[in-house]
Amino acid sequence: MPRAILAGLVGASLAVSGAAFQGLFFNPLVDSGMLGVSSGAGFGAALAILLFNRSSIYIYIFALFFGAVAVLLSYIIGRTYNTTPTIMLVLGGTVVSSIFSSLISLTKYVADPYEKLPAITFWLLGSFASVSRQDLIVGLPPMTIGILGLILIRWRINVLSMGDREAHTLGINSNLNKLIAIGFATLATAGAVCVSGTIGWIGLIIPHIGRMIAGNDNKKLIPISCILGASFLIIIDNIARTLTSGEIPIGILTSMLGGPFFIYLLKRTKGGSW
Amino acid sequence: MDDLAVQVKNASFSYGKKQVFHDISFNVKKGEVFCIIGPNGCGKTTLLDCILGLLKINTGEILVGKVNIKKTKPQELAERVAYVPQTHERRFPYKVEDIVLMGRASKTKIFSSPNSEDKEIAKKAMEKVGILELADSPYTQISGGQCQLVMIARALAQESEIIIMDEPTAHLDFKNELILLETVVNLVRENNITVIMATHFPNHAYYFETNNIPTTLALMNNGVLEKIGNPGEVLNENNIRQIYSINSKLIDYNLGKRFIKQIVPLSIVKDA
Repeated sequence: MPRAILAGLVGASLAVSGAAFQGLFFNPLVDSGMLGVSSGAGFGAALAILLFNRSSIYIYIFALFFGAVAVLLSYIIGRTYNTTPTIMLVLGGTVVSSIFSSLISLTKYVADPYEKLPAITFWLLGSFASVSRQDLIVGLPPMTIGILGLILIRWRINVLSMGDREAHTLGINSNLNKLIAIGFATLATAGAVCVSGTIGWIGLIIPHIGRMIAGNDNKKLIPISCILGASFLIIIDNIARTLTSGEIPIGILTSMLGGPFFIYLLKRTKGGSW
Repeated sequence: MDDLAVQVKNASFSYGKKQVFHDISFNVKKGEVFCIIGPNGCGKTTLLDCILGLLKINTGEILVGKVNIKKTKPQELAERVAYVPQTHERRFPYKVEDIVLMGRASKTKIFSSPNSEDKEIAKKAMEKVGILELADSPYTQISGGQCQLVMIARALAQESEIIIMDEPTAHLDFKNELILLETVVNLVRENNITVIMATHFPNHAYYFETNNIPTTLALMNNGVLEKIGNPGEVLNENNIRQIYSINSKLIDYNLGKRFIKQIVPLSIVKDA
C-alpha cells in the first residue's frame, strides 16, 4: 500500500512540476529536472551511497540537500541586475545539470565496482522496489506541499508564461511569483527523486498528454497533469512488478511504454492545437 | 492638475554609461491620444518602459495620476496603466478568452483565479473590440491583426484609465492598421481612455486629430523631446526636414463631411 501511494505521489509531483516549468519558462521542451534538481539529487544520493551504505537515511538528506543546492545555483547564475530573465535561468539550469551529471560520473568512477557501483546505478535508474514506511515519512511532506502549492498558484503560471515584461505590466511581481513557483516545483521534484531515484520522461511527456486532453490553460492543465502523472506511474509500477519474475527498474519502463503511448496520442489528437 | 493622466518631469535614463534620454518633461491630459514619433533608436520604447515601471529612471520623476511610480508595486501600477506590446510572442495555444482574462491578473489574488465577474468583464472587452466570436479559438491560429486586437481587449479588461501602445500597427497590413486606429478612436471617445502611443507613422496623429480626438504629438530625437504640441504645430515640413532629413509636403483636403490631413514624404535631403 505505501508503495502505490508513493508511486502516485511521485508521478503527480514530476508531472505537475514539469507542467509548471514548461509554463514558467514558456518552453514546451523543458521537464521537471530543468533547474538541475534531478541531477543534484542524483549526485547527493550517489555520494551518500559512496560514503555510507545503500539503505542509509543519509541518502534522503543528501538527495534533498543537493537537489536544493542545484536549483539555488541555477537561480543565482540566472539572476542578473536583480531580475531573473528566463533564458538565463534555462542556461543556468543546463550548466548546473551538466556539472552535477559529471559529478555523478566521478562518484561512479571512484566507487567500489562490486558493491557500491551497482547500488548507485540501480538507484539512478529509479525504482520503488525497496520502498518502505520510512520513504513515505520522508517523501510525503515535500511532495504534498509542492503539488498543492503548484495547484494553488496555477493560474499565475498562465500570466507568467506571457513573459516578464507583460506579466509585470499585467500587475504581478514576476520575479517573486517565479521564485515561489520554482520553490514549490523543487520541493515536489526533490521529494520524488529522493524516494524513487531519477525517473525520467514523466515530467516532460505527461504535461503534453495533458495539453492534448485539456488544452494549455494551466488552470485545467495542472490538475489534469497531477491525475495523469499519478495514474500513469501507478500503472507502470504494477507492470514493472509483474512483467518479469525479477523487477524491472521503473525508470526504464516509463520511457519504454510511455514513448509509444505518446506517439499513439499524438496521432490520435493530431497534437491538439499545436 | 486634476485633468492630467501622466506627468513626466525632467526624466533621464541610461543603461550603464549609455544615456538613452535626458531631461524629458511632458504632461498627458486625460482622454487624449498622446503620440510619440521619432527615428529608430531615439528612445521611444525606453521612455514607455519607464512609464510602465519596467525600467527605473535615474533622475526626475514620473507621476501617474498623482502618484509617483517610483515606489508603486506592479499591481497598483497595472490598475492605472495597461500595455499593448509591439509584437506579442505566442508560445502556447491559449484560447483568446484565456489571454483576455489575464488582464484581470492585478485584481486576482496569488492563489486564486478569475471568477465569473472577471469573465463578464473579459467578454465585454472582447465585444468592444469586435473579437467575441474568436473567444474559443486558439490565439496561435488567428491573424497578426486579430492578435493585436486581443492585446487591446486584454488591456481593456485590466480596466485602467491609461493604455500604452508601443508601435501597435508595426506589423499590420493596410486594413488591419485602420481597424486598430478606429478601435483606438472608439476607446478614447466612448470609454474615455487615455492612450500613449509610440508610432512610426506621423499621419496617425493627423488621423486622430481629424477624427476630433484630442491629440498631442511629441517628436523625439537623440534622447530629447524636440517638439511637442498639437499635430499641426509639430508635423510641418520644416520639422520633418530637421528630424528625418526628408523633404515633405503637408496636404489637406476637404471631403465635405470630413477633413483629411496628411504629410507626404517627397525626397531625401541631399547634403548641401
